[in-house]
Amino acid sequence: MAVSSEYIVDLQQISFTRAERVIFDKVDIRIPRGKVTGIMGPSGCGKTTLLRLIGAQLRPDSGAIVVNGQNIPELGREDLFAARQQMGMLFQSGALFTDLSVFENVAFPLRVHTSLPEDMVRDIVLLKLQAVGLRGAHKLMPDELSGGMKRRVALARAIALDPELMMYDEPFVGQDPISMGVLVRLIRLLNDALGLSSIVVSHDLAETASIADYLYVVGDGQVLGHGQTDELMNSDNPRIRQFMQGEPDGPVPFHFPANGYIDDLLSRERT
Amino acid sequence: MGAMINRLALLGYAGLNVIAALGRSGVFLFQALTGRSRFGNAFELLLKQLYSVGVLSLAIIIVSGLFIGMVLALQGYMILVGYGSEQAVGQMVALTLLRELGPVVTALLFAGRAGSALTAEIGLMKATEQLSSLEMIGVDPLKYVIAPRLWAGFISMPLLSMIFCVVGIWGGAMVAVDWLGVYSGSYWSNMQNAVEFGSDVINGLIKAIAFAFVVTWIAVFQGYDCEPTSEGISRATTRTVVYASLAVLGLDFILTALMF
Repeated sequence: MAVSSEYIVDLQQISFTRAERVIFDKVDIRIPRGKVTGIMGPSGCGKTTLLRLIGAQLRPDSGAIVVNGQNIPELGREDLFAARQQMGMLFQSGALFTDLSVFENVAFPLRVHTSLPEDMVRDIVLLKLQAVGLRGAHKLMPDELSGGMKRRVALARAIALDPELMMYDEPFVGQDPISMGVLVRLIRLLNDALGLSSIVVSHDLAETASIADYLYVVGDGQVLGHGQTDELMNSDNPRIRQFMQGEPDGPVPFHFPANGYIDDLLSRERT
Repeated sequence: MGAMINRLALLGYAGLNVIAALGRSGVFLFQALTGRSRFGNAFELLLKQLYSVGVLSLAIIIVSGLFIGMVLALQGYMILVGYGSEQAVGQMVALTLLRELGPVVTALLFAGRAGSALTAEIGLMKATEQLSSLEMIGVDPLKYVIAPRLWAGFISMPLLSMIFCVVGIWGGAMVAVDWLGVYSGSYWSNMQNAVEFGSDVINGLIKAIAFAFVVTWIAVFQGYDCEPTSEGISRATTRTVVYASLAVLGLDFILTALMF
């Protein structure tokens, strides 16, 4: 269903708790169409949860998640799997199918969702692999690839069906500078060349800021702030500033809550 | 008093967890088995699983069946020869295998050989986000990963149980007839007279089907429901073998009481 609206994803008043811990408390986030949106925040603040909510792998306690005009949590199983075909997601580990070759991994979505003839599947797979620079590796198995290459193959697989929305879950974690640079460029390039909308969830500030058109900073179950990158850099909010400048202590304390330091050292109680 | 109430609360908590897991596994089974797979290659997926679950279990089943049949014949002979009725060893071996040991031992071996492998494989697919990524590609992992494995278990275990019985009876004949000198005519014809097709062969097969269902269900569910860490996978694999074995033995008693 094509709905021409300014926003491809519209999260309205989302609340989500896990094991009695509040991850999101009535959060509103809107992802503009055709742009790269960065979602940033400290580790463990629920960034990955957010992507899983959009992909309906988790259900919110309350609130609406509207993707392309459809409220995702209300969809039945069949409609949901149809809606997911418009979304591509790059998982942190790449999540390639280890029993299939690189070629078959990228061909997988085409084979299960389309009945294209074999030579057309082959052309599309090679096109997608060319886009991520790994056409030459199509015969390899996933365990023969480096971490960065795995992620690029997974990226080729995620765009195999030409989704409208791409979601990247911590794409820069554990990458060497070269493959990091490659991924940063690819995300931007694919977004613009294929006319996608992209969500990049990350805590790597510099990389995300360099490609994102728009940034959200989340933490404490809230949206702490959003805006253009430079606006946020100069924000007055101390929490945002601490995150953006990478200060170790501030509103987010360096120390885990504890009893008095002296008391702890002097007490005879065994821990 | 407070400690007492705490204990009680813990017991209630554990009970609720068990019931919740039962509910989850029921919904899981229902969703995996109902509704048609939309993928054209469902048969291919099933064949692949039949091979890894069934064909690869053949070796352990055949070897175990052979030895169990041989031991039964040897033990039976030593007791029966005291009463001068060693020619009944054939029917004893056949009835024991068909009614009890065939289905039960096959199920236990199957839980150890194939069940643990299923749990570990699915658990690892979960831990490496392969199941999530299937979901995001728009493929239901219950249909694509789980259903073929369930069917493969349901189909292959009863067949393995039959093979186990046949090999066991043959092993019994080897020991009783060829080694201990029981007259081969009485070994086979006594067996033929004593074994009823309906009450022995079919009931044994029903047991095997019931065990196949329980063992495969437990194995696949434990993998799907496990905590996606290396520790979680190892615990789930252990649970598969323990739960499946206990379930088979308990169910065997109930089925035997109902059947014979």
